[in-house]
Amino acid sequence: MRVKSKLFLLLGLLMVVALAAAGCALPMAADEHTHEDGADHTHDEEMPDGGFVIGVSNTLVGNGWREQMICAIKAEATASGMVDEVIVVNRNGGPTEQIADLEGLISQGVDAIILNPTDREGLNAVIEAAIAQGIVVVAVDQAVTAEGAYVATNDQTAYARLGAEWLFETLGGSGKVVEMRGIDGVPADTDRHNGFMEALANYPDIEVVASTFTGWDPSTGAQQALDLITTQEIDGIWTSGIDYPVVEQFQVADKPFVPIVGADNNGFVAQLLDLADEGLVGAAVTNPPAIGAVGTSIAIDALLGNNPPHETILTPKVFATDNTDGLNAIYAPDEQVGWSTYVDIEPFTHYNGSADVSACKAPGE
Amino acid sequence: MNRDSRATAVFNRAGLILSRSGWTLGVWLLLLALLIWYANLIPRFGEFQITSISKNSLPLVYLALGQAIIVIAGGIDLSLGALLLLSNAIAARFMADQPFGAVVVIALLLISLVAFLNGMTGYVIRISGVPDIVVTLATSYIWSGLALWILPSPGGGTAPRFRWLFTGSESGIGGTYVLPVLMMIIPATAVFLLSRRTRLGLSMYAVGSDSNIASLAGLGVTRAKVASYALGGALAALAGLATVAITGTGDPRFSVGANATLNSVAAVVLGGIALTGGTGLVLGVVAAGMILIMLNPILSAMGINPNNAQILQGVLIAIVMMIGGLVALIRERRT
Repeated sequence: MRVKSKLFLLLGLLMVVALAAAGCALPMAADEHTHEDGADHTHDEEMPDGGFVIGVSNTLVGNGWREQMICAIKAEATASGMVDEVIVVNRNGGPTEQIADLEGLISQGVDAIILNPTDREGLNAVIEAAIAQGIVVVAVDQAVTAEGAYVATNDQTAYARLGAEWLFETLGGSGKVVEMRGIDGVPADTDRHNGFMEALANYPDIEVVASTFTGWDPSTGAQQALDLITTQEIDGIWTSGIDYPVVEQFQVADKPFVPIVGADNNGFVAQLLDLADEGLVGAAVTNPPAIGAVGTSIAIDALLGNNPPHETILTPKVFATDNTDGLNAIYAPDEQVGWSTYVDIEPFTHYNGSADVSACKAPGE
Repeated sequence: MNRDSRATAVFNRAGLILSRSGWTLGVWLLLLALLIWYANLIPRFGEFQITSISKNSLPLVYLALGQAIIVIAGGIDLSLGALLLLSNAIAARFMADQPFGAVVVIALLLISLVAFLNGMTGYVIRISGVPDIVVTLATSYIWSGLALWILPSPGGGTAPRFRWLFTGSESGIGGTYVLPVLMMIIPATAVFLLSRRTRLGLSMYAVGSDSNIASLAGLGVTRAKVASYALGGALAALAGLATVAITGTGDPRFSVGANATLNSVAAVVLGGIALTGGTGLVLGVVAAGMILIMLNPILSAMGINPNNAQILQGVLIAIVMMIGGLVALIRERRT
């Protein structure tokens, strides 16, 4: 008897919640209708000229590259003068969490969503639902296949191919090289390996004597580099971005430098400038987290009705030791070693260099 | 005179029900308050939002219900998240491109399989005398390793009709809220009735309260233990199925399972079930799971910095748990 009444009490409560939710929903749904009518009205007459709200969804927290990506989005939103607010939803998770986050952003009534997707296809339904509501969606860093979504990525295949070609040219077309990769199975690593192999196919006298997975972890990469340079004869090293720790190992082991390819990490750029006198030859290949700012710029363009292209693929730039001016231009003396120095991407970005991105201020912050 | 005493009896019983299920009531009221608050925070609140919250809550609600049953029977299961991962991986791998009928058969087989596996875990714990936390920590690595072996990288799929069953829409978004709400109420009610109205369910409470006394009273301690773990496993499998229905893909990453386990324990405690076992109603856990899912969009809509949101979320859970401890302490002093 007691259990039964308790059950009824709780089921009753459940009903109350459901009714209350429905009660809230009905008048609000009516609001929504008028709101949409209003929006359609302005849409027909004239394009909006700013005051946008941009939502950002990221699902990898505590990663330097991703944090810089978010700061670049904020900095570009501020510099554009077109954005009132940037809402960042940032937590660790997979597609389940990102779908919930994207639905939350849709509910908040944002004008555009910039996301770094966890899955190529799994988010398509929610992205298409957002687009159907008139929200501009831009996937940055990694692509999505959703209809109507904008995509802005760095060309990972070209990242490896351009760097490897520079290395093989510098070695005069022959020698023993090491390929220091990222994480096995990650799409960016697979693309880069393909690019590396494309370049290798054109240089028959280049021999790959070792291939390692650094896990994109500086200490792992450093240990692997130390083991390699103290036990083998190596003429050149290609890295998937674990660069300055490798250069440091040559100093630790007191070995002469060999040509090395890395990314646009501030620490590596500093080494290329400072250690050139001691014989360091190398090239920094860009993989900018400022792709977030590129996405922001595309989103604003789309909101203004300028119909930007749906796919933007940035081809990496190569800054080698013989290009001192170029290296000096991207070097950011105030930033950490892991800072990606290539932040100004023409014609997309409007902020003022690393200082603006590093300040990480969204409009109104 | 007679009427008076009857009125007093009714009054007393109402008081008893209120005090016994006060925590459950409180959690549901908190959920209601959060819903109203959220509705006022965002510009639109309609079917889309109700569907979104109810379907996104499903995996955690199932997992928390499973954890609740295991905790009530005196255990704790750190492998539930890994079982979610495993069933998500198996489902996505084998349901891809299959017709709805086959998908349902796979789903039922999967629920039975995972229930059997976790029932075995419960049996091993009971027989070996090794603490629950140690055994399930070990099995959690086995299940998540197995998940990665079955589905090495994100992928796979399921039937659109199956997605509709959990999300109210064949694309997994923007459908009716009736289905996700039903898919929440039916298993929750079933688990509640099983735990409070069957001999097996009541023996779980007894075993969780004190397994020695329960054993002396002639209750099947092993049976209750194994049944609680098997039921927990079945609900974890259901959570994995809901995940594949929501995303349309499988994701075998370890961190997904680890997060899910921690959230299930948080929902159990927030739902008013003491980790010492033997008390609490599983219905509070349903609301607690939904509250945990709603915290993220609410904090985001309040414009709270995402880096601080995580801290705030932890602080909120800690405060609620302390209130729970305080309530228990006051009750103990009174009796």
